[in-house]
Amino acid sequence: MAKITLDIFRFDEAVDVVPHRDAVVVDIPETTTVLDALETAKADVDGSISFRRSCRSAICGSCSMNINGITGLACKTPCNTVMDETGAIKIDPTPNFQPMKDLVVHMDPFWDKYARLKPYLQPSDSDSAHERERRVSPDDMKKLVDVANCVMCATCYALCPVVSVDPAFAGPAAIAYAYRFIEDVRDGQRKERIAQISEDYLWLCAHCYACSYCPKHVDPNDRIIDVKRAAIKDRVLMNERGPRHALVVTKWIKKVGMLHETELIAGTIGRFNVRGLLKVAPLGLRMAYKGKMPPMFLKPIPKVDEVRTIFDALEVPVS
Amino acid sequence: MIKHDVVVIGGGLAGMRAAVEAAEGGADVAIVSKMHPVRSHSGAAQGGINAALGNREDDSPKAHTFDTVKGSDYLGDQDAVAAMCEDAPGQIIWLEHRGCIFSRLPDGRIAQRPFGGAGSPRTCYSADVTGLVILHTLWEQLERFGVKVYEEYFCTALCVEDGIGTGVVAYNMRNGALELITAKATIFATGGAGRMYAKTTNGYASTADGFGIAYKAGIPLMDMEFMQFHPTTLKENGVLMTEGARGEGAYLLNALGERFMFKYAPNKGELASRDVVSRAEWTEILEGRGVDGCVLLDMRHLGREKILERLPQIRELALDATGKDAINEPIPILPGAHYTMGGIETDKWGATRIPGVYAAGECACVSVHGANRLGGNSLLETIVFGARSAKHAVNYIKSVGEVRPSERTLKAQQERVSGLLGRTSGTRSPILRRAMNATMSENTFIFRNEAGLRKAVDELSAVRKEFDASAYVMDKSTTFNTDLVTTLETDFLIDAALALAAGSLARTESRGAQARTDYPERDDANWLKHTLAWRNEQGPPRLDYSRAVTIADFAPEVRSY
Repeated sequence: MAKITLDIFRFDEAVDVVPHRDAVVVDIPETTTVLDALETAKADVDGSISFRRSCRSAICGSCSMNINGITGLACKTPCNTVMDETGAIKIDPTPNFQPMKDLVVHMDPFWDKYARLKPYLQPSDSDSAHERERRVSPDDMKKLVDVANCVMCATCYALCPVVSVDPAFAGPAAIAYAYRFIEDVRDGQRKERIAQISEDYLWLCAHCYACSYCPKHVDPNDRIIDVKRAAIKDRVLMNERGPRHALVVTKWIKKVGMLHETELIAGTIGRFNVRGLLKVAPLGLRMAYKGKMPPMFLKPIPKVDEVRTIFDALEVPVS
Repeated sequence: MIKHDVVVIGGGLAGMRAAVEAAEGGADVAIVSKMHPVRSHSGAAQGGINAALGNREDDSPKAHTFDTVKGSDYLGDQDAVAAMCEDAPGQIIWLEHRGCIFSRLPDGRIAQRPFGGAGSPRTCYSADVTGLVILHTLWEQLERFGVKVYEEYFCTALCVEDGIGTGVVAYNMRNGALELITAKATIFATGGAGRMYAKTTNGYASTADGFGIAYKAGIPLMDMEFMQFHPTTLKENGVLMTEGARGEGAYLLNALGERFMFKYAPNKGELASRDVVSRAEWTEILEGRGVDGCVLLDMRHLGREKILERLPQIRELALDATGKDAINEPIPILPGAHYTMGGIETDKWGATRIPGVYAAGECACVSVHGANRLGGNSLLETIVFGARSAKHAVNYIKSVGEVRPSERTLKAQQERVSGLLGRTSGTRSPILRRAMNATMSENTFIFRNEAGLRKAVDELSAVRKEFDASAYVMDKSTTFNTDLVTTLETDFLIDAALALAAGSLARTESRGAQARTDYPERDDANWLKHTLAWRNEQGPPRLDYSRAVTIADFAPEVRSY
């Protein structure tokens, strides 16, 4: 048994203007999960401590919260892995959400991201044409099962820095869910779905990999890359800045072995997009004034062949 | 006032399946749920869903019916079991057409695995997350049909006017208001009651809500004494290790390293039905052949690849809770409270005795599971009876004019809640729950006897009285008051537990999950009948045995595996 101090964010939107914190001490084995520690605190000390929970086995996705600065499922986090040397654990609601009461937050913006996906199978043929199941190979299904492990706990959404600066960004979870339909061989709306998620700012993802901390190993970070690849492969909304940027970066690295910044600007904005180019011209002029104008022409680095070999080994053929 | 044709209480598999069926049938339908639908405990179902698709071996709904009837120890109503097994293949195909991610055979058809008590590999699955993938598929259909969901509304009471159901009262957890929700038909789909016990596979939300609400409104609970103890749960936290593990070939071992199941079930071994396996494990433990109060679930010989492909979730759950990796070590497990075979009495269309009131899924007792449920039949029941109850309800509402809102029930609920919140001292619900859990675990576990059951009835009656006299809610907030909700849940749990103990005490036989050491034999002459428990304000329920078991194709036989 250990004395563990839960330092809990307290707030009730109906009465409080500002939040405060309460320290609650519980005497429990230190391998207890943070969720069970909270349950003990609520049962034995203060019944008003509020949090969502149900399954306590990492499948319902209710108990995502911020534990010592890291967001995760409280039911999957043993106290001894997070408490400090004094036995204290700081518990806050998930970031990127509006608090409602203590650790309970308003989830609606998160669910809205799913609703925009039209998240249901839309086959190209009618169900009545199939007396039995539609046939799908085990491998095609396996891809989807890995994503279907997502429990919609919103941990990735809470960790995402792009969501924090642009709430319109679909976020990692919804993009992974879009992948689930885009890659479903039974679905007939692949292009429309790629277009929809592109419009929901797919290309804003900066690949910081914050969402690679997924309690269910769905790895939305990799699914985002998969969806971007699908967009390029199917040539959906290719004239937008996102795909143009991705393509021009790779093109020049392959060619010269390093980033070609002047080409990058022209390639992303469009060589003939005069208005777009004029918009960034002041920046270019300032850079030139400070002597930081990138070179117009680049020579390939020595042994650029080796860079190309990497591309050859990794590149998924784009048809 | 909120008003719909059909209101479904609960957003798990049965509730969502009912809502989608009603929506497709043209009804204005809404779901009232104490949590977001994808949070429902249906998602924790791991192993699979039964249907005689015959994708691996020849199979038929009739064979499925027989296995289920035998599994039920002949207490299942055979017309209802047959209806379920006949609907099963069509419902699985329906789910597949709606996008459900089932694991596949090499030829692309839905894969099936063997499960306990089944004559052929009949259990369709998706690795070990079958409940979750079906839950998502049905939630997607809610999105598709734009079904209104009253999310984080806790239903507290059923309205009955002039003998027909007219809707419910629900507590809006976001702002603390009680609201009247008028409906021509109400379908309860609130799941199980595992939280009557301390050690359970059930989540915190499985709190007998539908049982308690219907019971208080005058609908009997049926066969509550039959509580399933799942053979493979983790000692540390009660979390489920799917039967699919044994379906894939895992062994059960005692301290001597013996595969002891063949002593108890010479033909089926580890794949006997759950009551048989749980009793065998508990006998091994009681007779001193356990390992720290457990037996061992050994998956090592399945190999890393198969475990990671087909049982990844339970491997991780065991690793998190015990530190043991099933790939290299056997996992200590023991039986734990899992599934309430009993529930709100319904017919094979999910209809209760009150017109306009239905129940489906775990909260209902049709009865298709009788005295013991087969693995893979619970997900099936949710889908089949979710759809059947909604089909019936959609027809029923055509014959009903406007239903009158019943302010009376709303007022009574407002008084109940303000009474609880107004109390400044008393006994908090965690204390009451611990008292209930203690007597349930001690006296109503796998082996039962008269003295213990009598004690359970007395102690639960005392808990009931204490709740009524002094239940105290510490949190007075109107925002997300889970202290209040937990207290109301405790009220429902106590009712269900008392019905369970009283029914078990009265049934002087051993059948399926009910094992009486003082009455070790099944007694078909006297007990081939259902238990109906009617709520009694003054004490334990009034029991009535007017409902006989429906026998059709399969006469009761000696049951062995």
